[in-house]
Amino acid sequence: MTARNQSLIELDGIRKSFGGNEVLKGISLNVAKGEAVCIIGPSGSGKSTILRCINGLIPIDEGFVRVGKHRVHEIRHERGMRPLRRQVAMVFQQYNLFPHRTALENVMMAPVQVLKHDPGEVRERAIALMAKVRLAGKESSYPGELSGGQQQRVAIARALAMQPEIILFDEVTAALDPETVKDVLTTIRELVEEGMTCLLVTHEMRFAREVADRVCFTDHGLIVESAPPAALFDTPQDPRTREFLSQVL
Amino acid sequence: MLTDTRYQRRKRLALLAILGAAIAWIAFDALLGGSAEWARVISRLPLLLTGSGPAWSIQGGFAFNVLMGMLSMAIATLLGLLMGIALLARNAWLRRGAFMIMNFLRNSPWIVLLFAMLYLLPHRVELFGTTLSFSPFFKAVVGLSLPTAANFAEIIRGAVGSVHSGQWESARSLGYGTAQIYRQVILPQALRRMIPGWMNLYALLMIATALATVTGVQEVVTLLRTTLAMESETALVYFYLTVLLMFFLYCYPIALLARRLENRTKGDAI
Repeated sequence: MTARNQSLIELDGIRKSFGGNEVLKGISLNVAKGEAVCIIGPSGSGKSTILRCINGLIPIDEGFVRVGKHRVHEIRHERGMRPLRRQVAMVFQQYNLFPHRTALENVMMAPVQVLKHDPGEVRERAIALMAKVRLAGKESSYPGELSGGQQQRVAIARALAMQPEIILFDEVTAALDPETVKDVLTTIRELVEEGMTCLLVTHEMRFAREVADRVCFTDHGLIVESAPPAALFDTPQDPRTREFLSQVL
Repeated sequence: MLTDTRYQRRKRLALLAILGAAIAWIAFDALLGGSAEWARVISRLPLLLTGSGPAWSIQGGFAFNVLMGMLSMAIATLLGLLMGIALLARNAWLRRGAFMIMNFLRNSPWIVLLFAMLYLLPHRVELFGTTLSFSPFFKAVVGLSLPTAANFAEIIRGAVGSVHSGQWESARSLGYGTAQIYRQVILPQALRRMIPGWMNLYALLMIATALATVTGVQEVVTLLRTTLAMESETALVYFYLTVLLMFFLYCYPIALLARRLENRTKGDAI
């Protein structure tokens, strides 16, 4: 396992409650640069919350979160989060594209408006990214005119346009029709192969096994087991992992 | 889909039947001597519309209602916008204050607010040696714009709140600040949803301008109650019908257009 001080993402003992419900009960996780880590586990086990703690969308109650040089748990203001968010991109289950803007504008908006990059240069980059996610020709379509899988690939292009070091994927295929899942997974696989640091919450076990360097199984707000995919899927150590895998595989 | 077109056909038939009955009644009534009353109404129509007999200068009448409605709406839009921003403010005190004012105004009968303006606003104020006098027209406009502003503020709050929370999440995760999120992401979507409500509010306000008669402004109802009061009782029925029709013809198309826009924006909620 990666040495603690070299890892790009470092979570140590994070706890988070919503109301009286403790969703995270001490999560510790390290992700090295270029690593692809999948988080699997039953619904409601806090998987999505872990991702939102990393880019500061959800403030944690207790624990330590570091991304690169940013100590996320120490940032108190929304304004202070912004340098972090430039480093960490996120792709959501519900795509969350901006419906009043075209696909290309969705990809271009943040680099121009947040990073203040030159619009001409961003435009070229955005067109190249649209081609990369195999959506060349759909630049002027509005999100409402695209299928779920296409919208999700625009969302990935939008994340990539920020030139992030890390991308967080939050159950990005869970809302998709089965036939469009493959295109999205292919796009993510290419990113992993290019060495992008990816943290994925997913229900696609086959995909997790194929692309991940490491798979974490979460249950009831804890990481129960963490291992390379072959080990975790073939010889799970914890009975809860075994039970979960027997249900989904 | 099939039942939908059948419903539409039946609706159209029902509307035609109502229209036909109305025309039949008017024709029947005209044969029984109603035409003389209608002639009376038509001869006084310029007065009803502009408040001046033959000379076409605007001194009151329905034109005043339209004018009051537009002015009040302009003021209410501005005030409502400020109040709406305060309702969405991060500062809890500002938000609570705006919330209280909005609820107070929204739950007051409009006619009471109009009476209140009548007695609260002075007839004239001395300001640096010049005398400003508050006309009944001015008081009516202030009295009408206050509850309208409160309703508009609530429309703004509702429209902003109706934008899916995922939009906030994704904009924040892209590094946008709060002001930028409002400007680039939330408001463009909320604005589309505000317009139908804003138009409906205008139609409502237009109808409420008839209440301004309590301030003594020479609008159409005041005319009916004063200048036209010496018409015969039968003729007055026709006058009131005509005024009802005026409001209907002015407000209904606005309501129709608002509904159409509303249906169009329904689809883009993601």
